[in-house]
Amino acid sequence: MPMKGRFPIRRTLQYLSQGDVIFKSSVKVMTVNYNTAGELSEGARKFVFFNIPQIQYKNPWVQIMLFRNMTPSPFVRFYLDNGEQVLVDIEDKTHKEINEHIKKILGKSKEMLEKEERERKKLSHPATFGPKKYHLRECMCEIEGQVPCPAFVPLPKEMRGKYKAAMNKEE
Amino acid sequence: MSVPRGAVHAKWIVGKVIGTKMQKTAKVRVTRLVLDPYLLKFFNKRKTYFAHDPLQQCMVGDIVLLKALPERRSKHVKHELAEIVFKVGNVIDPITGKPCAGTRFLENLSDSENLTEADTTYLSEKLQELKVCSTEK
Repeated sequence: MPMKGRFPIRRTLQYLSQGDVIFKSSVKVMTVNYNTAGELSEGARKFVFFNIPQIQYKNPWVQIMLFRNMTPSPFVRFYLDNGEQVLVDIEDKTHKEINEHIKKILGKSKEMLEKEERERKKLSHPATFGPKKYHLRECMCEIEGQVPCPAFVPLPKEMRGKYKAAMNKEE
Repeated sequence: MSVPRGAVHAKWIVGKVIGTKMQKTAKVRVTRLVLDPYLLKFFNKRKTYFAHDPLQQCMVGDIVLLKALPERRSKHVKHELAEIVFKVGNVIDPITGKPCAGTRFLENLSDSENLTEADTTYLSEKLQELKVCSTEK
């Protein structure tokens, strides 16, 4: 049973998470003006159809607004935190070119993303145990080669507290 | 811990004016794309904000840019009008700077050079008729 729609792959988490445009923190609003007809707007239409979901998925706090058939020329406008506005003309460009251009001017660079990743890793220590939200593993029994969880495999007599207490009492 | 601007999360927003009946305040509808968790598709979710507009220069249908005020002006008004991006009926294409409507430029319409011969003859005939009417009186 195939998925419904024209290009339903756009509606998969794998496709959405493949978006590589992550905006710098100063970008607040993104506005795309494009036309529904005309050869020159073709790249803009494809950009809106394929790439905007990826961008919004990766930048949930950026407001994205789409305007259709308001002006003859298609463009993208960004409103930054310091009041600055960036206007990008997307007439006669393919959607891949538009994506690359936006990534270059307002996207976080690879070094910045790696740095942030490392910072996040520093906060959590991989060798501790606890709830899944904060640690990698919950109990030592999850690791291969360690004593298995007594919920599934009963512990040998010698390791049980009941037996140890009885042995101590005898002495 | 003093927040320099925005007792509010949204610092800059773009929306459409839906009401100007309040004095010096514009009711603005802001749409954001929200992912539906089951369909994995983005839909527009609306929210209305009230913005302070001291000169009452907004009309219903304008697209405006709002800026968050440093502190709330009143119970509901937390933003002010920063700029009218597109004025309704008077959209200016930012790339060329010319007024436009839909996918056409409006500048060329009043050019007398673009009139064809048929147009000029028709117009001159009309002028003649008008002259006759005035002399008859």
